[in-house]
Amino acid sequence: MANGSLIEQLDQAVEAILANPEAPLPRASARIAAELSIAVELRNLPRADFKARLRSDLERTTGMTAQAPTKFREGFHTITPYLVVNDAVGVIDFIKQAFGAQEMFRTGTAGGWHAEVKIGDSMVMLGGSGGTPNPTSIHLYVKDADAVYESALQAGGVSLHGPVDQPYGDREASVEDPAGNQWYIATHKATGHVPEGLRTVTPFLHPIGAPQMIDFLKRAFGAEELSRAESPDGVVHHATVKIGDSMVEMGEAHGPWQPMPTTFYLYVDDVDAWYRRALEAGATSRAEPTDQAYGDRVGGVADPFDNVWYLGSPIKGA
Amino acid sequence: MTAPEVDTAERLLIEAAQKDPSRFAEIYENNFHHVYAYIARRVGDRDVAEDLTSDVFHKALAGLPRFEWRGVPFVAWLLRIASNAIIDRAKRAAHETGIANLDEPFDASPQELDELEKRARLFKLVERLPADQRKVIELRFGEEKSIREVANQLARSEGAVKQLQFRALQNLRAQLNVGSGETNG
Repeated sequence: MANGSLIEQLDQAVEAILANPEAPLPRASARIAAELSIAVELRNLPRADFKARLRSDLERTTGMTAQAPTKFREGFHTITPYLVVNDAVGVIDFIKQAFGAQEMFRTGTAGGWHAEVKIGDSMVMLGGSGGTPNPTSIHLYVKDADAVYESALQAGGVSLHGPVDQPYGDREASVEDPAGNQWYIATHKATGHVPEGLRTVTPFLHPIGAPQMIDFLKRAFGAEELSRAESPDGVVHHATVKIGDSMVEMGEAHGPWQPMPTTFYLYVDDVDAWYRRALEAGATSRAEPTDQAYGDRVGGVADPFDNVWYLGSPIKGA
Repeated sequence: MTAPEVDTAERLLIEAAQKDPSRFAEIYENNFHHVYAYIARRVGDRDVAEDLTSDVFHKALAGLPRFEWRGVPFVAWLLRIASNAIIDRAKRAAHETGIANLDEPFDASPQELDELEKRARLFKLVERLPADQRKVIELRFGEEKSIREVANQLARSEGAVKQLQFRALQNLRAQLNVGSGETNG
């Protein structure tokens, strides 16, 4: 309870500091004096999206966006979402039955299992080692959203919402698979299938702080911001960024759409260099780059939004 | 890195950006908080601080090809641009309002540079807080929203927001202590 009282006391002091910046520092317990002096400094904290907006302005002026290199295994693109699940057989069966996916590869070891499936023109990796599953959300463009929605329900999916016409020109439904992954099944009515520039599968993130997420992706992976729809108060409703030849979509977390940190496999030309760049941009290391038995050199980082990025490249000379 | 190593890294980065403007992104990331904090402290109004910060980086980008390295940290050049931008604005305001306060020195003293460094570090640490804590700090301080407004926006209870605010400030204090320990050690 003592801690609860400190929480209240600190908040009242913060309230006083914000209400009247010129007033002397409010009286408070010595136990929170250091936090209070930090709060005083934070009065000059810039607005959350300003730094990202200014950077975008400068980028438009100079084209100061780096492009992630593109060199990877045949059939793959720069970004492949990696679904971390425990029930390998169940999830692969669901994806095959619901979306007509083709299983390309599956292997199991004492340390876990790994599989690769192809949905339309896109690859998805799956794996797990009996640890905590890490459900994610995927935007899935198909020719007939209504039909695929029905087959996803028959395959064991749970409806999040039935097919509806969205104001942005998609007919869209959402289903959660038995492992908790959310699939936003859509048909883009203008093109009859996939919007220009996207593929069958596009990862969809709901970060807390979408402008900061975009900013991070630019700094870490040379992402290019292609679109941003935001409200007058700066909340990003939808944004698309391009990394190498692949897209990531996102919208600020709200209501039922809360963060679902995702795991990605990102093909790059120089794992060590991009690994260092990601750390400099604020990521934390999950695994230093090492050569893997399956032929890729791979390093792993976690971004400040808890997404995990495995940076991979075919081993040179292999 | 030691100070000479930092100087060398910065010099190499600037030379790279002079040849390839896409590298200006790194200069921007390294210096944004210094420039904003310097300006915000002097003008005290967020809209004005944003206008001036934007002005500084656009001018820096345009002037980068003419920049010559003379062993002074790059941020000093940026602060000089910022200082001039503030003076220009104050002159315009004085002309419009008849109120002038141009005697105040605009150059940053070593003590102020030290404080600026600390403030920029604090703002960078905010960017690295866990996402829910960071969002609360950004909304509460950057947007000056009330606990109730933050709670509504994040779909959390007011109690949960106060707790996140508390944890975030504790986290920042701990991170600042770690950094200063390293410096002194």
